[in-house]
Amino acid sequence: MPTPRQVRRSPLSRINPFLKIGLSFGLIGLSLFLRHIAPMLVLLGGVLLLMTQLKLRPLILGYILLMVCIFTGSTALLLQNWPEAIFSTLRLLAIVLPTPVLALTTPPADLIRSLQTVRLPSFLTLSLMLIWRFFPLMQQELQRIWEANQLRGIDLKWRPGKWFSGLMVPLVFQMVVYADEVTVGLQTRGYSPTEPRSNSKPLHWRWADTLFCGVAIAWLTLICYLEWGR
Amino acid sequence: MNSPWSLRDYVFAAFMTIGMVASIFLVGPFVPLPFLDLVMWAPFGGIFLTLGMARLQRRGSVALMILPLAVLLLPLSPLITLYLVLTPLATEAVVFFRGNYRSKANRLLGTVMFFVSGVLIGLGSIFIVPALVNTGEFIEEDLAKIIEKFAVLLNNPWLLGVLAVAAGITGSIGWWLGEKVVHQLQRAGKLDANA
Repeated sequence: MPTPRQVRRSPLSRINPFLKIGLSFGLIGLSLFLRHIAPMLVLLGGVLLLMTQLKLRPLILGYILLMVCIFTGSTALLLQNWPEAIFSTLRLLAIVLPTPVLALTTPPADLIRSLQTVRLPSFLTLSLMLIWRFFPLMQQELQRIWEANQLRGIDLKWRPGKWFSGLMVPLVFQMVVYADEVTVGLQTRGYSPTEPRSNSKPLHWRWADTLFCGVAIAWLTLICYLEWGR
Repeated sequence: MNSPWSLRDYVFAAFMTIGMVASIFLVGPFVPLPFLDLVMWAPFGGIFLTLGMARLQRRGSVALMILPLAVLLLPLSPLITLYLVLTPLATEAVVFFRGNYRSKANRLLGTVMFFVSGVLIGLGSIFIVPALVNTGEFIEEDLAKIIEKFAVLLNNPWLLGVLAVAAGITGSIGWWLGEKVVHQLQRAGKLDANA
C-alpha cells in the first residue's frame, strides 16, 4: 500500500482512480475467461507496459521472478504439461498484477477524493484512508519490535510462546498511542465524520482520462477479438 | 445524520483492523497445513477483535472493524469481500440478542462466533460449488480443479465441524489474551472498558 510520498508522479498517477479501478476489474474478469495464449499475452503485455510506470526495487523484481518460476515449475510437475503450466502462470499474473499496478500509481488523497464523489458513508472513507495510510507504518512497528527482541537475544521465529508478551502487547500499546494521536490530530483540524468535507482539489474528468479510456477500450477490444472474434 | 459512534471510535476501529491484517501476515508463513489458516490466526486476530469490542462496546463493533476491510479488498477479490461481509453480520446477528459488548461473556461469544462462522462460511462455501455446476453457473473444468484442491474436505465433511470447533477454541484463546491486554491497558490508563 503506498504512502503519499511513495507514489511517484507518473502519467498514470494523474488518471482518474475510478477508471483505474474499472480497468482493473475488467482485466481480472477477462483473464478468468480467456482460453487462448495470444489474447492472454496481449493482456499481460499491456499490464507489464503499465508496470514500467512503477519504480520497483531490483530485489522485489527478483523475488517476483523467483516466485513465478517456482509456481510454473511446481505446476508443470503436478500437471505433467508445460504449455498448460505456462498458461496457468500467465493467468495467475493477469489476475494478480492489475490491482497492485493501478493501486500503486494512485495517491491515497486521489483515492479518497474519488470515494467521496460516490458518496460512500464518511466513516467508511475515513476508515479506508486510515487503513491505507497506517498499515505500512504498523508493519514497520512490528519489524522494529521483532528486531528489538533479537537485540535482546530472543529470536521470536523459534519461540512462538513469547509472541504474546514480546510482540503483541508492545504492538497493541503502540497502536493505542497512534490511535489517540491520530484522533487528537483530526479533532484539532476540525474533522467531523458526520459533517460534509470541503475539498480543495475536486476530481475532474480531463483529456488524459479520455485518452486513457480510449486506449483501454481498444486494448480490451483487441483481447476480446483475439479470443472470440477470429 | 446522528451516529452513535464518535471520531475516536472510528479511528480505534480502523487501527484494530490494521492489527488484524498485520497479524495475518505474521502468522501466514507459520501455517503448517492448508485450511488451518483461520485456526492459527484466531489467537492473534482475537486479541484485536476483543480489544475493539472492549473499547467500542456497542452493537455493530465487529462490523465497524471488518466492513471497511471488506470494501478495501473489493477490487482484489469480490469473494473475500462477500466472506468478510457475511462473517461479521453472522456474529452481530447472534450478539444482537445478547445486548452489547460491555460484558466479558458477550465478548467471548462475539469472538467465538466470528471465527466459527468464518470457518463455516469460508470453507462451507465449497459445498455450494456442485450446486452452481448444476445450475450452469460454474463450468466443470473449474470444478475439477476445485475438487482436486479441496478433495480432503469434500470427502470428509466432518472435518468442517472439527475445524469450526478448533477455530472456536483458538478464538477463545484470542479472547483470553485480548482480555489480558485490556486489563493491562486499563491499568496503564489507556482504555476505559467496563470489563
